[in-house]
Amino acid sequence: MDKLMRNKKAIILFIAPALMLFTAVLFVPVCKAIYYSFCNYKLPGHAKFFGFEDWKWLKNYKQLLTKDQTMRMAFRNSMFFMVFSIVTQLVSGLFLAALLTNIKKGRNLFKNIYYLPCVLSSAALGLLWMFVFTPRLGINQMLASLGAWGGDCTLGPQWLFNTEGYIILPIWVVSFVALWQYVGQSMMLYMAQISGISSDIYEASYIDGCSRRQSFFYITLPLIKPMVATAMSLNAIGSLKFFDLIYNMIPEGFLSHKADVIATHLYTSAFKFRKLGYGSAIGVILLILCLIMTVLINKFVKTENYDM
Amino acid sequence: MTDTMTISKEKRQARTVSTIIYIFLVLLAVIYIVPLLWVLITSLKDDSTLMLSPWAMPAKLEWGNYEFAWTKGHLGTAMLNSLIVCSITLVVSMLFGSMAAFAIAKLRWKLSKLSLYYFLIGMMIPIHTILIPLFVQFSGWKMSNTLIGIIIPYITFSLPITIYIMVGFFEGIPNELFEAACIDGCSVYKMFGTVAIPLAKTGFMVTGLMSFVSNWNELLLAMVFISDETKKTLPVSLTKFVGPYHTNYCQMFAAIMIAIVPTIIAYVAFANQIVEGLTAGAVKG
Repeated sequence: MDKLMRNKKAIILFIAPALMLFTAVLFVPVCKAIYYSFCNYKLPGHAKFFGFEDWKWLKNYKQLLTKDQTMRMAFRNSMFFMVFSIVTQLVSGLFLAALLTNIKKGRNLFKNIYYLPCVLSSAALGLLWMFVFTPRLGINQMLASLGAWGGDCTLGPQWLFNTEGYIILPIWVVSFVALWQYVGQSMMLYMAQISGISSDIYEASYIDGCSRRQSFFYITLPLIKPMVATAMSLNAIGSLKFFDLIYNMIPEGFLSHKADVIATHLYTSAFKFRKLGYGSAIGVILLILCLIMTVLINKFVKTENYDM
Repeated sequence: MTDTMTISKEKRQARTVSTIIYIFLVLLAVIYIVPLLWVLITSLKDDSTLMLSPWAMPAKLEWGNYEFAWTKGHLGTAMLNSLIVCSITLVVSMLFGSMAAFAIAKLRWKLSKLSLYYFLIGMMIPIHTILIPLFVQFSGWKMSNTLIGIIIPYITFSLPITIYIMVGFFEGIPNELFEAACIDGCSVYKMFGTVAIPLAKTGFMVTGLMSFVSNWNELLLAMVFISDETKKTLPVSLTKFVGPYHTNYCQMFAAIMIAIVPTIIAYVAFANQIVEGLTAGAVKG
């Protein structure tokens, strides 16, 4: 048996396809992206290393972090998305999970309805919500037909085109749409964890005179803490990588990059303006942000595993 | 007497609370369903009635909208392409992933833990970071405008999660089963095929679902890699068809419907399995 399981040929045969594919298509390109980010690389043309003398090799990053106005807005919007989605998903996901575990009838039905958008294409849903918030259709048209703004729908709020304020209105709108789409996932994660808590603990607490609210704060919350860390890092990374919804809800070039996020800035720099080196630098920054967030969340939301 | 009164008071209070909860849940469900219904209804109207009366039901069902989106919007071809891409990705990533997972979980070699960590790093890498180098590389190999050019990255991005989940499932299979198979004269390959795979069916369902759903909906990579109209996948064709420069709203709504209806049908048919499977995958990931 032992000899059979140590068969070198079998081991190589089993691991090789995945290992080779993974290395060639994921690991090597990451290294290449880091290299490109130190290069002057514009299409048509080849990657040319900036050279080592007086920090020239950091030129893309210097440009990106100090001079690029769009990057500043994109970074601000991405950070806003991240904080917004971490906070709102945590609160509303927990709230929904607590409600759904406490009702008797229809739990499955509600759960499945709230989860539905998670499996739908965010490209399609982005377009759908784009129409909902278009001035002449959707919300404004319906409110106008009920008598708002004297029946003229174009006088209503410009949901996706208003560029006033520090965080502009379109970003708020997209944030809420993202919450609508993905809250089902957080809810399911918390529900899975809550249903794993033994009912003995709750019974014991009721005998001790605990109210339902107390039992939620003193039993449920501490016991689902590991899942909070998981859900938070999923949300953080997901919102940093955010592309589909914003690309489809806000037509390119309409707001002169005020509604860009890091991912859309990467896309336009690299594939519209053909600055591949510059785009790679944005990609590397995104990668670093993802790693930092994962480490931070897992460090600060300490996971103690209780016996349940 | 007083005892029964307090009980009934408590009961009444509980009932009001649960009524409030139900009202809230139903209102929330309305926010989830109404936008989809709105798209459905609008997709069957024609543009003039849409502008005049947003509330009216379509007087005459305009199936022509769907026909236009399906043929002129290339959504028919796109759906076929998506199906091909996702099916191949599903099969290959599950095969490669479960093979690697078997080697890591059950075969005995020094670097097995290390290689698992190596694969797990992949879960933290955003697809955006490797987009540019891959695009350059694949253009060099003349693969940038082919379906195989997006299938390979899709397989690779499905591998880490597949391996991670399958390792968990394979480790759960008791070693005695493999010993028994060994005594019966099984080779390692036969053990994998006849013992390990049939016992990890749930794992295959979970990983298959995750990879299929995420690849079916993937937009960015497909949009960058494919410019040929006949090779675009569903999210890409949809994004190109629906936009500020196309002026017939109802046709665009029909296109959105075409893109989401297959998923909705599959979801309604297997909702419980899909929700449980994807959650199990996310928990483990």
